[in-house]
Amino acid sequence: MSERPLQEPTFLLLTALAEGPQHGYGIMTDVERISGGRVKLRAGTLYAALDRVAAEGLVEADREEVVDGRLRRYYRLTPLGGDRLAAEVERLRQNAAVAAKRLRLRHRAVGGLP
Amino acid sequence: MTTAGGLEGGYRRLLRWYPRSYRVRHEEEILGVLMAAAQPGQRRPSARESLDLLWSALKIRLQMTLRGADSQHWAAALALVGVLLPLLMLLLKLTEFLDRGAQYGFGSPADVLVGAYGEPGAYAGSFQANPYPVALTGNVTDALTAGPLPALILAVLACLGWRRAAAACAAFVPLAYLGISLANGYTLLAGPRGDVTLYAYGLEALVLLAAPDAPRGWRALRWRPGALLAAATVAAGVGMNGGFWPLFHAAPTDPATALRRAANLGRLAGLPHGFIERLFGIGAGGWRDWLLYQGTLVAVIVVALVTVLVSSPVDRRALALLAVPFALGAVIYLCSLISPPLPAPAGNTLTAVPLLLILLAALALSLGRRPRAGPDVPGRPAAPGDT
Repeated sequence: MSERPLQEPTFLLLTALAEGPQHGYGIMTDVERISGGRVKLRAGTLYAALDRVAAEGLVEADREEVVDGRLRRYYRLTPLGGDRLAAEVERLRQNAAVAAKRLRLRHRAVGGLP
Repeated sequence: MTTAGGLEGGYRRLLRWYPRSYRVRHEEEILGVLMAAAQPGQRRPSARESLDLLWSALKIRLQMTLRGADSQHWAAALALVGVLLPLLMLLLKLTEFLDRGAQYGFGSPADVLVGAYGEPGAYAGSFQANPYPVALTGNVTDALTAGPLPALILAVLACLGWRRAAAACAAFVPLAYLGISLANGYTLLAGPRGDVTLYAYGLEALVLLAAPDAPRGWRALRWRPGALLAAATVAAGVGMNGGFWPLFHAAPTDPATALRRAANLGRLAGLPHGFIERLFGIGAGGWRDWLLYQGTLVAVIVVALVTVLVSSPVDRRALALLAVPFALGAVIYLCSLISPPLPAPAGNTLTAVPLLLILLAALALSLGRRPRAGPDVPGRPAAPGDT
């Protein structure tokens, strides 16, 4: 895999869109929920990230609607964005598997000491 | 309603820092998110929200610039500066020539060539006072930076639209100056009339090579508010014939008097001289020049702010480019005031490095530029909202 690892806010943003199209505020609250309240994207950061991932072709606009006089634009993951997220998940899974395996070995070694 | 209105107004003011094209697509959308995420009873944007929006606006501007979404504005600004900068330099040389020459005499053609306005016989005198090689190299470096000929040639080439020839001329001047100065052990830091002029030549080479597809020559001049204001400012400085000196060291000159002075060239001899040094703050007057430099800088900043408020995106970019030599010159000038003075090698490095970086960038552009494949740059993915 030659692509650089995704930064956590980008990873969470793509994850939020993996289930289906969402508007900006929906993405913000979903990212906070997915991260257990640890990552709170502010509006400026969110739209800078959306602009970047859209320029990379990972996300695109889905539809617009007006709610209470306010414009809502929904975004969806593109096929490229889905592939990118899947590759990142696989990379994290492999890293986590290696880390878990070595921790098990370490516990055995530490547990085996007199 | 008042609370929500005040909060929305505050958010809208912050969103003005985003690029206009981005705002057109996303302002209402981001505003909706900001209002939805606001705390109940919140009256104004919090400090963290403000910082987040300002920082993100900067990132969006950078992303758009790097992506080329802004490239048309930059191309037009580069083309404008490519012509405006040599004309400005020529105008300043002409002003200095008239100002100092009218007061102390113009001297021989050789004196004019080396920029020794107001010092008749300086060219020949240098050969009498110094060994031949020293006098020769001194006169050559003076002709490159203080003399009017390079600025005149550059202005003609730039106005004719001979881009590569003008860029070669612009790059030759600082390279030759650096080569001669370093080979002969001259001190570059705050050199005679030098630094800002050298940076301006280097920038001109970079600007000319950076926008090959832009309109060339005088056709690139955009007589819109920015260019007009810049020209008017220079003209006002020239007209008052004291630069910004009266701000600190003489009775204020009212506009009517300034106009009378400007119209009466015969009275130039009776007026303060050294416009160039005062404008650039590179004279030998110590604190007096320092004060004057600050006055000039404040005036330039005021002009810049006014221009930003009234002009187009292209003019704003052109003004930012024109400020580069002054900003670099200001840093070098401040370093020259350090006491005890910096060692010569440190001063020379400090002066030469920005110049070499500018010239290297120009070289990289000239070598790395490839012909465009077509009228549009393919492959740019859609931005959010491009549906």
